[in-house]
Amino acid sequence: MKKKFKKVEPYIWILPSVLLMAVFILVPIVFVFRMALSDVSKAGLIKGFAGLENFRKVTSSSVFAMVLKNTLVWTVAVVGISTLLGFILAILLNNEFKGRKLARAVVVFPWATTLIVQASIWKFIIDTDYGTLNTLLMRLGIIDHAINWTPTAGAYFAWEIACGIFVTIPFVTFTVLSGLQSIDASYYEAAAVDGASYWQKMFQITIPLVRPNLTISTILNIIYVFNSFPIIWTITKGDPANRTDTLVTYLYKLAFYNGKQGQAAAVSVIGFLILLLCASLYMVSVLKKGDE
Amino acid sequence: MAGTNASAKKKNTKNTVLRVLLYVVVILICLFTLYPYFVTVCTALKSRAEIFSINGTIFPIKAIWSNFTDVWKLAPMSSYMLNSIVIAGGSTLLAMLCGIPAAYALSRMKFKGQTAFLGFVIVSQMFAPVVLLIGIYKVMMAFHLTNSIIGLIFINAAFNQAFAIWLLRGTFLSISPEMEQAATIDGCNRVHALLRILLPVAAPGIVTALIFVFINAWNEYTVALTLISTDTFKPLTVGINIFNGYNMIEWQYLFAASLYAIVPVVILFVGIEKNLVGGLTSGGVKG
Repeated sequence: MKKKFKKVEPYIWILPSVLLMAVFILVPIVFVFRMALSDVSKAGLIKGFAGLENFRKVTSSSVFAMVLKNTLVWTVAVVGISTLLGFILAILLNNEFKGRKLARAVVVFPWATTLIVQASIWKFIIDTDYGTLNTLLMRLGIIDHAINWTPTAGAYFAWEIACGIFVTIPFVTFTVLSGLQSIDASYYEAAAVDGASYWQKMFQITIPLVRPNLTISTILNIIYVFNSFPIIWTITKGDPANRTDTLVTYLYKLAFYNGKQGQAAAVSVIGFLILLLCASLYMVSVLKKGDE
Repeated sequence: MAGTNASAKKKNTKNTVLRVLLYVVVILICLFTLYPYFVTVCTALKSRAEIFSINGTIFPIKAIWSNFTDVWKLAPMSSYMLNSIVIAGGSTLLAMLCGIPAAYALSRMKFKGQTAFLGFVIVSQMFAPVVLLIGIYKVMMAFHLTNSIIGLIFINAAFNQAFAIWLLRGTFLSISPEMEQAATIDGCNRVHALLRILLPVAAPGIVTALIFVFINAWNEYTVALTLISTDTFKPLTVGINIFNGYNMIEWQYLFAASLYAIVPVVILFVGIEKNLVGGLTSGGVKG
């Protein structure tokens, strides 16, 4: 009896967690797949099996290619630039200096602030008519008349990317910083004895040793940024004419504004598959790290 | 002798220059980071007329503190605030109640399917609710939870399980199981061993996971926006957009209300900043 209990016991411990994730994550995944393959009414009722019809409709629309391209640009630009800047910032903050604690506290601010508020602030800052960026630059004497910072859809998108970078940097910085702090000082001492230059130390000690941290932050960021909804939703809602839409804002509009739930589900599945690819890369790298 | 002295001097000057440069760069970065917050505070204290005037100002001409009290009269801010607290608090409690036992099993027991479960935990971290919104909406309809705070609590708790389990498992693995084993031999059962012995020792990790889940749930926007239609059920992140109309944005009120939403979590975050980073990265290494 006791032996039998011992065998079941672990499953009792994990049961609440399994139930919670099964009902609120797994079941929605199943629903999304089912709807993507079904003929769905405007009210969201499943009318019958539709095969790949929803996928055909979505991918044949000219907007979709643009949305996909935007998603790629958005993800690569935000993750790439914030990884570079975040890494540099971590190197700076790893130095001993007065007020380092304060600087670290300040740098964490954008991470803690809800994206919806961040996005509103940036929308206000770059406004042509009353935005504070123009006011500030005019007061400082850098410009003499208000500049239209967002003349085109592309300019709007660039600002959205800038906002995304601003909020993503702290995560990179702190992940890298934790790696930097665990590097044994003796490596650098030995290198100094050998007369290694700053850049040699950087490329031969620092970067290889924080690479696992960079990998984790990059892969997690790809997923967070890919899924990021509030920034674009607040600043442009994907307009004008879907020119600033990414996959998630596009599917949101399809589902909740245009009543095309079947097609929205198809877009979800496409996004889901792209993420699954990233997730498996992440898992492989994490598990590999565990083996080392 | 003199030669080495001169080179040492040269090195010293170079170090001083680098040092000054470091300070300048760090100060500039801090100013840049703080700029949006500076704008938020200044704008929250301005009058509508001042914000929209042609001669823009940096600091408010006269600080209008009443903006901070007006938002409570113009919008159901007390409901928003209370809802945010209940949603974030409830999600944290539920995420911990499910996450602690799971992390305990993963760190102290061996069982079939352990790797598969851990794999699912990692993969589930990859899916933000926004991609699954349509599916989530269907599940919520089935439970009659579409326009409900309870529904949001379940969603937030579920989507934060991965991080909570990951962080807690890392913490538990870093603590030697000997004390608990000794206690179990003394006739103490596992539940007691967990509550009385492991949890107090693991407190720092638990607090970090707790605060992180709280902040995530507090800051959540997309699901709440989709599921909640009744104004008095909205959390702060969704509710404050009452000042962000299609034709007219009341910036002074929007930012005054925003400050209520961001100040508490920024303080919490600064508090756990150090522990959090260790948890994010080391959780994957241990074990």
